[in-house]
Amino acid sequence: MIQADLNTILPEIILAVFAMLGLVAAVYTSKDKLAPALVWVTGILMVLLAIWIGAAGGVDKIAFNGMFIDDGFSRFAKIAILLSAACVLVMSQEYMKRRGLLRFEYPLLVALSVVGMMVMVSAGDLMSLYMGLELQSLALYVVASLRRDSAKSTEAGLKYFVLGALSSGLLLYGASLTYGYAGTTLFSGIIQTAIHGEVSVGLLFGLIFLISGLAFKVSAVPFHMWTPDVYEGAPTPVTAFFATAPKVAALGLFARLLHDAFGAAVSDWQQVIALLSVASMFLGSVAAIGQRDIKRLMAYSSITHMGFALMGLAAGTVFGVQAMLIYVAIYITMNVGTFAFILSMERDGQPVTDINALNLYSKREPGRALAMLVLLFSLAGVPPMLGFFGKFYVLRAAYEGGLAWLAVAGVVASVIGAFYYLRIVYYMYFGEEGSELETNRSPVLWVFLMASAVIMLLGVVNMFGVEGAAAAAAATLVN
Amino acid sequence: MEEMLREYLPILVFLAVAIGLGAILILAAAVLAVRNPDPEKVSAYECGFNAFDDARMKFDVRFYLVSILFIIFDLEIAFLFPWAVSFKDVSMVGFWSMMVFLGVLTIGFAYEWKKGALEWQ
Amino acid sequence: METIILFAPLVGALICGFGWKFIGETAAQWVATGLLFLAALLSWIVFFTFDGVTEHITVLRFIESGTLATEWAIRLDRLTAIMLIVITTVSSLVHLYSFGYMDHDPQWKEGEVYKPRFFAYLSFFTFAMLALVTSNNLVQMFFGWEGVGVASYLLIGFYYRKPSANAAAIKAFVVNRVGDFGFSLGIFALFFLTDTIDFDVIFGEASTLAETQVSFLWTEWNAANLVAFLLFIGAMGKSAQLLLHTWLPDAMEGPTPVSALIHAATMVTAGVFLVCRMSPIMEFAPEATAFITVLGATTAFFAATVGLVQTDIKRVIAYSTCSQLGYMFVAAGVGMYSAAMFHLLTHAFFKALLFLGAGSVIHAMHHEQDMTNYGGLRKKIPYTFWAMMIGTLAITGVGIPLTHIGFAGFLSKDAIIESAWGGGSAYGFWLLVVAACFTSFYSWRLIFLTFYGTPRGDKHTHDHAHESPMVMLIPLGVLSLGAIFSGMLWYSNFFGHADQIGKFYGIPMAAEAAAHGDDHAVTDEAGHGEEATEEAQGEETALADAATEDHGEAGEHHAQLGGEPGDGALYFGPDNHVLDNAHAAPIWVKVSPFIAMLLGLAVAYLFYIVNPELPRRLAENQRPLYLFLKNKWYFDEIYDAVFVRPVMGLGKVFWKRGDGSIIDGFLNGVALNIVPFFTRLAGRAQTGYIFTYAFWMVLGIAALVTWMSIGGGN
Repeated sequence: MIQADLNTILPEIILAVFAMLGLVAAVYTSKDKLAPALVWVTGILMVLLAIWIGAAGGVDKIAFNGMFIDDGFSRFAKIAILLSAACVLVMSQEYMKRRGLLRFEYPLLVALSVVGMMVMVSAGDLMSLYMGLELQSLALYVVASLRRDSAKSTEAGLKYFVLGALSSGLLLYGASLTYGYAGTTLFSGIIQTAIHGEVSVGLLFGLIFLISGLAFKVSAVPFHMWTPDVYEGAPTPVTAFFATAPKVAALGLFARLLHDAFGAAVSDWQQVIALLSVASMFLGSVAAIGQRDIKRLMAYSSITHMGFALMGLAAGTVFGVQAMLIYVAIYITMNVGTFAFILSMERDGQPVTDINALNLYSKREPGRALAMLVLLFSLAGVPPMLGFFGKFYVLRAAYEGGLAWLAVAGVVASVIGAFYYLRIVYYMYFGEEGSELETNRSPVLWVFLMASAVIMLLGVVNMFGVEGAAAAAAATLVN
Repeated sequence: MEEMLREYLPILVFLAVAIGLGAILILAAAVLAVRNPDPEKVSAYECGFNAFDDARMKFDVRFYLVSILFIIFDLEIAFLFPWAVSFKDVSMVGFWSMMVFLGVLTIGFAYEWKKGALEWQ
Repeated sequence: METIILFAPLVGALICGFGWKFIGETAAQWVATGLLFLAALLSWIVFFTFDGVTEHITVLRFIESGTLATEWAIRLDRLTAIMLIVITTVSSLVHLYSFGYMDHDPQWKEGEVYKPRFFAYLSFFTFAMLALVTSNNLVQMFFGWEGVGVASYLLIGFYYRKPSANAAAIKAFVVNRVGDFGFSLGIFALFFLTDTIDFDVIFGEASTLAETQVSFLWTEWNAANLVAFLLFIGAMGKSAQLLLHTWLPDAMEGPTPVSALIHAATMVTAGVFLVCRMSPIMEFAPEATAFITVLGATTAFFAATVGLVQTDIKRVIAYSTCSQLGYMFVAAGVGMYSAAMFHLLTHAFFKALLFLGAGSVIHAMHHEQDMTNYGGLRKKIPYTFWAMMIGTLAITGVGIPLTHIGFAGFLSKDAIIESAWGGGSAYGFWLLVVAACFTSFYSWRLIFLTFYGTPRGDKHTHDHAHESPMVMLIPLGVLSLGAIFSGMLWYSNFFGHADQIGKFYGIPMAAEAAAHGDDHAVTDEAGHGEEATEEAQGEETALADAATEDHGEAGEHHAQLGGEPGDGALYFGPDNHVLDNAHAAPIWVKVSPFIAMLLGLAVAYLFYIVNPELPRRLAENQRPLYLFLKNKWYFDEIYDAVFVRPVMGLGKVFWKRGDGSIIDGFLNGVALNIVPFFTRLAGRAQTGYIFTYAFWMVLGIAALVTWMSIGGGN
């Protein structure tokens, strides 16, 4: 019994044990000199785990009396989390090293937060939910303030921590309300209560607080306020990490909670998610226009994108979950490429994040500028790129889910949002002569940038099979 | 419902008494006390000599570090109590679970020790 | 083979238009021209080997949507075969001619590449036109119809640096849109009534349509009449009939080969083709055909009068084209479709000849187009002169009266005038005779002003006038042959004995049809050999036919054309006795066009050879009339005042107020004021203080709880 349970969570155990061993090994030997190797080893381990999870899948397993669920949905999310985290880790190595930030804790903290995320998407119980969430969050608080001598970075970490604590409190309060009214913390138990009796008001209040806590993690409006400050203040690789893996995990958890635990009250939470979605899309689009810092801009961009992903969730259907998974998969791919580009922006060896620095970038680096153009078009959702199809899926899901007004709002928001992406393109191609931007010629960054851009173009053909995988994953989640 | 509320009645009474007493004490000071302030009376008093610094100064961050470390270990050791009490009833799984937990805690302790978090200098 | 004919020009256009950079300018032009000649050769083979039985050649599946299911198929019948030879022959000759004409065009700077583009457009036009005539359903036809419209637009505006050319191109396009609107309404109506757009099915339903009432706009209509009328509106636009004719003269802004190909020989005859193609419907729509007759006759007359006073050589021929198209419509309107097709065929030859001849003159005179600056060119450009002379003899209808010997126009035009008489349209008959007189006058006027008398205008230009190169003269020669012989060769097929017409078009005879039913194909097979040798003995047949015809008066023994609608290429209703009546017309009717022609010639001779001062004095004496004609009956001015200006005004209102103020204003307001306002607001909310952020979160929770309590649930 316990053997089977442990087998089920073997990937998480391996990663956690690796992180702890790495911590002890590094701290007792050469300390930070070991860091580059640790980055690579962690990255490779994550990729291997992703391959393992992908290959070993098939049978859905439930461990620890329903507290941990290993199904198609969680596997899809885990693979996305592991791969994106590995990408960001590998990308960040050189940047961190040059800025003296490459401490050995960095890859290990990332690994631990990934363990947390993996627990999150597999959670079948409010307790494992909270455990995964906190493991993830605590690790993230620390990496956000990794640059201890920078006021902005520490401020970012502190803000994130305090607000994160508040959201955790909300979440816990919601969990306790839910427990109080359902009499169980198991998702399968909660849904039974909801099916058998009227969904009580107390349960719905619990749900609202749970949603609020999770909305903070996906930075949905109005729980988004930390995002721009943290994105700006944290070191760029950390920002890249924030923008990818945790979003997948939080959305996965969101979907699991809403469908597995509250699948009987779809009409109740549908409106709430729709409201979060529409607020996120509009605020993200509108507020990004005023930004001059590309990292802040990407923060608002991620708010907008999370709004779109929530739109798929709001549909409350299998197709909606599928659309959300596809959207997130496309979104993290785009973000990896975009952050590879941002990481390569520098002047005199110092990182630059002002978008004015991109003036006439295409003259100096036509290849990179073109790749960035593809990515920005994709982020904006311009048709031939993959980003458009992501949007198309969620819009369709919302429409078919009976939320036509939400789909219309999404289209309007994406039109507004297209402005700031296209403005960057404008700067790159038609801007004025200004201060020169240098480019870090790291081959790793180049490879990620180009690969991401190429995927945005070629993925149109069959999305590399993501569509089918997402459909299968969504089917396992929604009964 | 009635039953449950009745059980909570003493707590309510207790609360009312506590609030009432607190209010009375504060109000009594304001009503009964003789007030005759002069500069010496309202100035800061510090162990018989003049204050040489603002009271709101920065503390060394190490105070926080120590206190946080204390809280962590204190709280996590607190887990041992319920475990120890019900030790007879938990199986081997329960035992090993706690061992794993302590192992993890030990790794954290080893790390902070080696990092120098426990040294004042 | 038919597929090759259809697609060879398209291939040529693509290779020439897109491939010239790879294979070179000259090679590209030769490819386009070569493919066109191939198509022409195959067309003639098809024409001579065709046995009259309608064939369907499926090319691909075209549109399938609901009950609308249609294929892209080639419908090969006699009508198509005739159009094939007309289009491919004239087009290939025009391609060849363009080698000379478009060389060193003064519109383009040294080193600019424009010729491949021109050839590609020409080939593309040919493809579209072929698609039109080979269509097996209305949508396919509409495709070709619009295709030629586009090609026409591109070619009229070929000199895109000339504002007048652009204006003319737009005008042609817009005026044609009016007609196309009618055409598409007609297609919709047919689809609405018969649930198909396939010709065969529609033809089969024709008699039902005649008994159907349909409500359209404000009243009830007879379905057949309505459909016929709507389709004819389309034909009016494309064939430049009165009211929608204004674009044709302006279209002369295009290069002359274009005028010859598109605006004389082929595209403008699409309307006539459409009416003939829809003959099964037309036969059941007496009111609509009466309208066609009247409008055609009026156009013939109107255009001829305007042609009298024009001085631009191309405009004269353009109005002449307009007028001749009117003739064809009269023939189609009275029910003598074969006569309309006959004139279409002969007209293609002699009008293309006249245009290309005019082009040759213009080429010789360094792109001078005003006839008042010509004169005495006969010696300088003898070949062109003779070609133009043949063309003029053909258009004016020179021949031996009461026989079937004469230039092409003599036979076909007389056939139409007799049909008009036979069809009982006195209005049509008299207007056409008068128009014939005018035709003769302006045509001879053109010859006299250009080739006779003393040189006028720029002396330098006249000194350097030179004969055109061989590539331009060969097409003139070939077309001259057509202008001389095409009438005599095919007279019997188009306007001879009913048997011959029936055999030619694959229409069963009334008696025969009753007896044999459907196996008329066998009979046609037997007649096949005869058909092939038709050309050789054409002249004899014509003579023999003339002999037969004299007995015609006696005879109701003439077999009546019969068959069901859609059986052959054309359909003549059982009550259609126009052919017999026409053949039985009195002598004075038959000679009247000839006399009109002589009259016109005499007056022209008097005005421009004997006494060149006379026209000017006449113009001064009859100033209002002269101005009326010179200004084309003020159609352009009236249209300008009635349609163009109000619409422009309306457009301006929409543009400035609607688009500029409201839409742009709204968007600019949103983009420049409202969105930035919210951006600033969002920026201000982002204070950087944790307590603000926490406050927002709490507010958010409150909002969500409220939202859930109010909107959620249930």
